[in-house]
Amino acid sequence: MIARGLAMRRIGWVAVLAICFALLFALSLRVNALKSEVRLAERKIVTLRHETIYLETEFETRGNQQQLAQWNAVEFGYVAPGAGQYLENERELAALGKAAGPDAPAPIRIAAASDIPASALPTMVSPLTGKPLGEEDEPVDAAPVDHATATARLGERLATVEHPKAAEAARPARAFPEKPAPDKPAPAKPAPDKPGGAKP
Amino acid sequence: MNAITYAPALTAGRIQLANVRARSLIVARIRLLVILVLFGFAAVVCLARIAMLGLFESPARAASLAEALLPSRGEIADRNGVPLARAFPAYALWFNPDALGPDAQGKTSPLVGTPAEVARRLALILPEADEAELRARLSVRRPGYLQRRLLPEQANRIHALGEPALEFPRENDRYYPQGSLAAHVLGYVAADGHGRVGMEQILDQRLLDPALRGKPVELAIDMRVQGALEDELGRGMLETEAIGAAGVVLDVDSGEVLALASLPSFNPNRVDRAINSLVFNKVTNQVYELGSTFKPLTVAAAIDAGTVTDLARRYSATPFGVGRFTIKDSHPLGASLNVPQSLMHSSNIVTAHIADELGPARMKATMAALGFNERPYIELPARGFPLWPAGEWPRITTMTVSYGHGVAVTPLHLASAYAALVNGGIWRPATLEKVPAGKAVKGRRVFKAATSARMRQMLRLIVSDGTGRKANAAGFRVGGKTGSAEKPGVGGYRKHSLVATFAAAFPMDKPRYVIIAMLDEPKGTAAASGQRTAGWNAAPVVGRVVPRIGPLLGIVPDDTRDVDLTDLAPLAPGFGE
Repeated sequence: MIARGLAMRRIGWVAVLAICFALLFALSLRVNALKSEVRLAERKIVTLRHETIYLETEFETRGNQQQLAQWNAVEFGYVAPGAGQYLENERELAALGKAAGPDAPAPIRIAAASDIPASALPTMVSPLTGKPLGEEDEPVDAAPVDHATATARLGERLATVEHPKAAEAARPARAFPEKPAPDKPAPAKPAPDKPGGAKP
Repeated sequence: MNAITYAPALTAGRIQLANVRARSLIVARIRLLVILVLFGFAAVVCLARIAMLGLFESPARAASLAEALLPSRGEIADRNGVPLARAFPAYALWFNPDALGPDAQGKTSPLVGTPAEVARRLALILPEADEAELRARLSVRRPGYLQRRLLPEQANRIHALGEPALEFPRENDRYYPQGSLAAHVLGYVAADGHGRVGMEQILDQRLLDPALRGKPVELAIDMRVQGALEDELGRGMLETEAIGAAGVVLDVDSGEVLALASLPSFNPNRVDRAINSLVFNKVTNQVYELGSTFKPLTVAAAIDAGTVTDLARRYSATPFGVGRFTIKDSHPLGASLNVPQSLMHSSNIVTAHIADELGPARMKATMAALGFNERPYIELPARGFPLWPAGEWPRITTMTVSYGHGVAVTPLHLASAYAALVNGGIWRPATLEKVPAGKAVKGRRVFKAATSARMRQMLRLIVSDGTGRKANAAGFRVGGKTGSAEKPGVGGYRKHSLVATFAAAFPMDKPRYVIIAMLDEPKGTAAASGQRTAGWNAAPVVGRVVPRIGPLLGIVPDDTRDVDLTDLAPLAPGFGE
């Protein structure tokens, strides 16, 4: 019985060891799989970096200083900014303004006020009706709109399809010949009975 | 009965049959076992391989990210990080006649099509190629480059021709995106992979060092300033039909060279066309007698030494003889001139008088302190040695040197000297390496700060009212001095071969940059109003460069600001009119 227990324990240890080894093996495989993924990514980075260098160099070559200077001389004619295009400070900016003449109108002064309660503002009045804003929205003499019914019938109105033929029939006759309705077959083309009209 | 009769035979047959069955069963089992063992072995081998692949990294691991991205040669950039030279993997076009198999007799063509046809189609793709030359190259079985550099789209189109003999090896090449811009500063990389001429040669080790080449080297050059300088010098050269031009822009406080141009130039991308006459650097290697641009240096030395104490003092302006020589001006400037007037009108005679009073020893000491007795200080390999009179200077040498004859220096020498003249008197070596803020070399004092301030006024006066008026860029407070020196030839100076120089600094109320423009043998064209002198050809170049580079360098043009010239105004009649 004791011997059997020992044997079982030994087998147990061996099994644990085997499991550990199997796990270690699996882990190593995973690590190396990741490593090779990293290597692939690195290779991609290198390729992309080379491509970037190539494109950058091409851009710089096409846009090199001499090329740009020639284009500028022929096409654009840009020149370096002159002294008049620089302002060093607010004082110089202010110096650009002119002093008011003796007969100049009084300058418009704008003042800003803050912290005024909303009630202190005068009511806005419509310039047409002279009534305070909001009151003149609906004319008094207009028939009151039954909003509930209108909304209920909206789906019905939108679902109604007006057939072109029916519309045609409903329309009064006109003095001039009309174009055929789209669903009617187009009138046959005149037969090529004229000489020379026929085509092979 | 029958059973008895057949029984032994039947039994024997059954036993035999059982034996046969047992034997074949054993054989089958053995075969099965063998197959099992084989499969098992294969499975173990496979598992072992998987485990090896899974557990251990392959020895031939690709180069790491950093290594793969490391350029074969370091990048050179300007002070703002704009790449000026970079390693660039480019395609070459290589002709491999053995691609369709070796052929000892030379009977089969290495190409699918005829050489003439392939050459014609190649010439359509490569605009620069010569069709006849290509045909000749394709007709013989000799491998070699057909073109050293191809664009990827060109490589694609050539690939579409379907000729296996045309190969595209990918090569690491040096590429200069800005073309010929700053070619003399950069130099080029020769076929052996080492730099030549410019910073490519000087920085060769640094650019090839694996530990350092990943980081670009930043030069002091500013690509935009360089472009403007080359552009305007080239224009000035064409307008005046000069045979060459040179220019330099120097930071007066740090000695950094922001632009350095020598024209005609070369394209470092086309090394095969970089012939010696183009590669020669006129700014650092060629020495010139730079003429009247020396006069402010003489005057500054005299003020510094105390031999000129009163700027109002008038000197005789009538030609006078010294030994065999007669010192005279280009045109009569009246009976006498004071110091500011002598600079404004560029009088040789008055400058000679001032130098005579200064004396040869002090004159020579100042010129030596400005570095005129040694090669210019710059990193470039090509640096010319000045023509410097040795020993004690005789009186005549002192006088001729005072107005820029008898000593020949490079334009870079002059730029460094002018920087010392305007920056408060400190001479610093010029450098092409970017100097971090506040890390400028200490330098040596050549002039007193008060002298420098006085010279700033007088240089400004020359541009606002003297010979350098065409350099007076509005709002930039340019100050400078013209110099038109006759070139020495056989049997004396050649009257019609001039070197026209304009040495300037701006803004004069607080000088930041020195700019030198030099034209070699300008002609009196209509663009220069028929004049050969610097005031008509070199000064306008500076006048056009300064407004282009000033705003880029953070100098705001301002009409309301200038050097205070009020104390000099009474000495220079015409001033302020």
